[in-house]
Amino acid sequence: MRTDYRPNRRRAMLVAATMLTALGLGGGHAASAAEKPLVIARDFDFNSLDPARAWCDSCQIYLTNTYQTLVRLAADNHTLLPGLAQKWESNADQTQFTFHLDPQAVFSDGSPIEAKDVKWSWQRLHNIKGGPSFMMDGVKSIETPDAHTVVVNMDNPNSEFLGILTASYTGVVNSDVAMAHGANDHADADKTDTAEAWFLAHSAGSGPYVLADYKPDDEVRFKANPHYTATKVGISEVVMKNTKDAVAQAQMLENGSADVAMQIDPDTAKSLPADKVTTEIVPSFNFVYVALSPGAKANKVKLTKQVREAFADALDYKGIIQFTVGGAGKPQPAPIPNGFPGTANLPVPHQDLAKARELLKAAGHPDGFSIDALFPNMNVYGVDLSLLMQKVQQDVARVGIKVNLQPVEFSVWRSHISGDGIPLTAVFYAPDYYGSGQYVQYFAMSEGTAWWKRAGGKVDPSITNPAEGKLLQKALASPESAKDGVYHQIALDMINDKIIMPLVSPSLVLAYGKSITGVRYSACCNLPIDEISRK
Amino acid sequence: MKRFILRRLVAMPFLVLGIVTAAFLISHATQGDPLISVLGDRQMDNPEVVAAAKARWGLDRPLPEQYLVYVRNLLTGDLGISIRTKQPVTRDLLVRLPATLELVIAAMIVGSGIGIALGVLAARFRDRPFDHFSRLFALIGSSLPVFWSGLILLFIFSVKVHWIPGPGRLDARTTPPDFVTGFYTVDSLIAGDFGKFLDALHHLALPALVLGWAVMGIISRMVRASMLDVLSQDYILAARARGAREARVLFHHALRNALIPTLTIIGFSFAYLITGAVLTETIFSWPGVGSYAVNAARNLDYPAIMGVTIVGGLAFLITNLITDIAYALADPRIDMK
Repeated sequence: MRTDYRPNRRRAMLVAATMLTALGLGGGHAASAAEKPLVIARDFDFNSLDPARAWCDSCQIYLTNTYQTLVRLAADNHTLLPGLAQKWESNADQTQFTFHLDPQAVFSDGSPIEAKDVKWSWQRLHNIKGGPSFMMDGVKSIETPDAHTVVVNMDNPNSEFLGILTASYTGVVNSDVAMAHGANDHADADKTDTAEAWFLAHSAGSGPYVLADYKPDDEVRFKANPHYTATKVGISEVVMKNTKDAVAQAQMLENGSADVAMQIDPDTAKSLPADKVTTEIVPSFNFVYVALSPGAKANKVKLTKQVREAFADALDYKGIIQFTVGGAGKPQPAPIPNGFPGTANLPVPHQDLAKARELLKAAGHPDGFSIDALFPNMNVYGVDLSLLMQKVQQDVARVGIKVNLQPVEFSVWRSHISGDGIPLTAVFYAPDYYGSGQYVQYFAMSEGTAWWKRAGGKVDPSITNPAEGKLLQKALASPESAKDGVYHQIALDMINDKIIMPLVSPSLVLAYGKSITGVRYSACCNLPIDEISRK
Repeated sequence: MKRFILRRLVAMPFLVLGIVTAAFLISHATQGDPLISVLGDRQMDNPEVVAAAKARWGLDRPLPEQYLVYVRNLLTGDLGISIRTKQPVTRDLLVRLPATLELVIAAMIVGSGIGIALGVLAARFRDRPFDHFSRLFALIGSSLPVFWSGLILLFIFSVKVHWIPGPGRLDARTTPPDFVTGFYTVDSLIAGDFGKFLDALHHLALPALVLGWAVMGIISRMVRASMLDVLSQDYILAARARGAREARVLFHHALRNALIPTLTIIGFSFAYLITGAVLTETIFSWPGVGSYAVNAARNLDYPAIMGVTIVGGLAFLITNLITDIAYALADPRIDMK
């Protein structure tokens, strides 16, 4: 069975003769079948390759495969495994963590990985003040009593710190090499660190691969790290190829010019021939939600709790999943991904039009009301937000709520949401690591969180729920065994807020050639390439 | 002629300054925050992080100061650093411009070559089946959106019949040739790698055809109309009366005069395609200026937006000048004063 594109001179001559009079030559050139590089077709969203500045899904893949973290996330997406740290312990109140590094671990240049590198990398991560710098928030001090021991002291209890350390941004950088190229970990690193350009052409980690070449908007080439021994690397050369369009990704898989793609939507995946491409549809931890902001200036009516409940009850949750991703998704009750701590047995939302009408009547809007919806005009994780909002518009129109849709560019949406606020919006969230605390810090209605500000907590204090903040503190101070119950209570509170309404957790399509094995989705790292091999 | 060219060259910097000023004002007047692409959504709520990023990218300064800094740097050839790619914009453009030029030149060869031939033959066989066929062909090429025709042709020729490779400038598993001109076809020949040259040429064929088809229609219709006008002239009748062969009448006597108005279209099409090849570049994963421009605009990457605008403006100014000169060379009656 033919799965690869194999050009030959006769075909090429025919094509060239018929299509390109002036370019009357043809043919082709492909790499030898043996030791073929692995090609991953992906829509690039890189904004840097510097671990302290990068912040994107593609960045997660790049960093996971070029840098190692102290703690790894197992394939079950919740168990923590040793990484560069062979073992660790924490004190009872989760304010001190001690890590014992693998004394055999070395960077890609063969030099040993020491505690000073860990301290330097994390201090730099914090001081650069880049996208992922918040991961080191709350770290009071880092001590290195010997070359292979790292002690982290926190300002406050943080039982999620180990989970945070699975995030690829916390990967350990070879400090000597990076400093030689302008990097530093000083308090003013945001102004004085000049290494970002160097990181665009070099990696300085200990991961399974090293950066061989990076062409922005085109490709990233990896070569196997000869000093990496933690796992057996299946493929020695990997190319991530920028392929914007999901259909083009599918075509590349089909003709053999790509081996792996994970951004193909379920509809396109159905067209892939089963004899050439394996497709797996797996649950993801990403989700798309709508949010109501009672404090937004453009509100035409007061978005009271009753009004918000009515809005939530008017939504056809099942229909939305069917309409946006053809059923390839799951409902998500709370703004914490399914499967994360505290999410078991949460009440699944459902449409109740009669209740919605009653609530509107009780709120003084028996004929409904009008609301402006401004949202990013983008397709994210297979969900077209414009399509989604059209469905929302249809659903709530059944109880008299008229939604005025205004799709805008993401950067424009961002300045609105942090400016005057947006009455109704739709947006998305993807995890950076396994742990529910990040969602509470972002979505809860306790004072100071991102969504408390966006929803207008200062203008309309009625949305504030201080209990969520207190419960979060309790969860962060709890041992592993007690966390779930606390997060469950927070999730119930967040559902009850009726500010954030998750609509769909879209499934992820993992598509790969028949000769490929070991492709999986990771909550912290997207795609661990070192686990992939050819059969 | 020399005075004309000199006058145009002297005016060019002022025109570029006008383009720069307009682009600067329009891009900065757009609602939106470019830092979202640097920091991500979450950190945009952290005032300390946002302030640090603003300072790094010079966005904390008053707008007039930002403009003056930009113009001052521009005078030294510095187009700034792209907020999105973190590379100097000059370098980004130098890498992407050859990719776009290679595609556009190939598309223009396809579009002009086939378009002119179709136009000449359509005029010669006016109102006969070939004329109708060429009209239909031109209409389809001009009407079909490139993103649709590109995907369909990729599906047919790449996925179904395997005549054409997938998207990209080379097989993804092949290492690009060392950068000399940035044209993969040329650089692979310079490197003496004929296999890579054929691979590059093979990858170029379909996007060039798709893009060339779009301009082919306009060119063929323009040539047909001009040819019909020229073929009714007395000197054509005289040439035929003298017993000149039909091919000579068409291509030697008629086409040369009919091409003059077409040169303008070809010139403008070339300049347009340099910045307008974006859909083709997206469908065929062609890392050129078009896709760079779209990414810059979507992320409000001010330095990149400015850089692309300047390159696009220069492309129009230069091709305009070349077209005018070609016009004069093709028709000595045209006064360049």
